[in-house]
Amino acid sequence: MICCKECIDLLYDYFEGSLDQDTTKSLEEHFEDCPPCIAFLNTYKSTTLLCRDTLNQIEIPDEVRHTLQSFLKEHKKEQEKK
Amino acid sequence: MSFTQQKEDKEIEEALVRDLQAGDLDAYDKIATLYQKKIYALSFNLMRNQMDAQDVTQEVLLTLFRKINTFQGKSAFSSWVYRITLNASYMKLRSKKKEPNVSIDELLPSFNGAGFQQEKIQDWSGSTESLLFTNETREVIKKAVDLLPEKEKVVFLLRDVECLSTEKVSEILDLTVPAVKSRLHRARLFLRKKLSGYFEEYNSQKGEA
Ligand SMILES: [Zn+2]
Repeated sequence: MICCKECIDLLYDYFEGSLDQDTTKSLEEHFEDCPPCIAFLNTYKSTTLLCRDTLNQIEIPDEVRHTLQSFLKEHKKEQEKK
Repeated sequence: MSFTQQKEDKEIEEALVRDLQAGDLDAYDKIATLYQKKIYALSFNLMRNQMDAQDVTQEVLLTLFRKINTFQGKSAFSSWVYRITLNASYMKLRSKKKEPNVSIDELLPSFNGAGFQQEKIQDWSGSTESLLFTNETREVIKKAVDLLPEKEKVVFLLRDVECLSTEKVSEILDLTVPAVKSRLHRARLFLRKKLSGYFEEYNSQKGEA
């Protein structure tokens, strides 16, 4: 049987679904006997999802958008003069 | 996104790049519009400061214009844009005094001699729903990410936040795929530990109330 350390080393690939069948099976056998590792797996997954949901919603604030727009306009004018 | 869609996007992008290389200013506008949000979001997540992210975005847009003829198409155009964004953000960060990072190793899981978990692991994954949209939780998450060491943070932002593929991240950062995986795994372990502290405390307070 694999130990918790090996189990946690494999979490990444397990989460990606890239483990071979045998390894997946021994990992899942470990989970059956080890509630702490199930808790670890669940919170590992949650962490990834929570961080993504929090950080990938960054929008350009209106004032920044305006600054960028006039910056690009200025730049275009300069280039057209050339 | 479907494969054909991706292929079409890639072709449109390549055409825009060619037009820009030929001096077409409208192509520049389109490229700027396509990329400014990605540039802003990544630099904001690295620096957590609106003015700095704005400066970096301007600088990157200008660099795209000035250096477009040095882009040779050896990597994807988007990888080139991400690399310029990272360089500009790091330059900006280095010009400021920054707090030292915590060591990631102290926060990795610990095991006993037989390889079994040593600490008590609480499963808080079911209780995040109600907490997710509170400002406090968002602040906790942002702070935890800010504490990540630079090497792990950038992999985490590109792969888990921007949702780029492992291969793409390895191209942008010039790292091997296993190196990307290992840094991302360490980042997730670090963040899991940081968030555990917060959610466990929340659950125990709820239990007492
Ligand atoms: Zn275990």
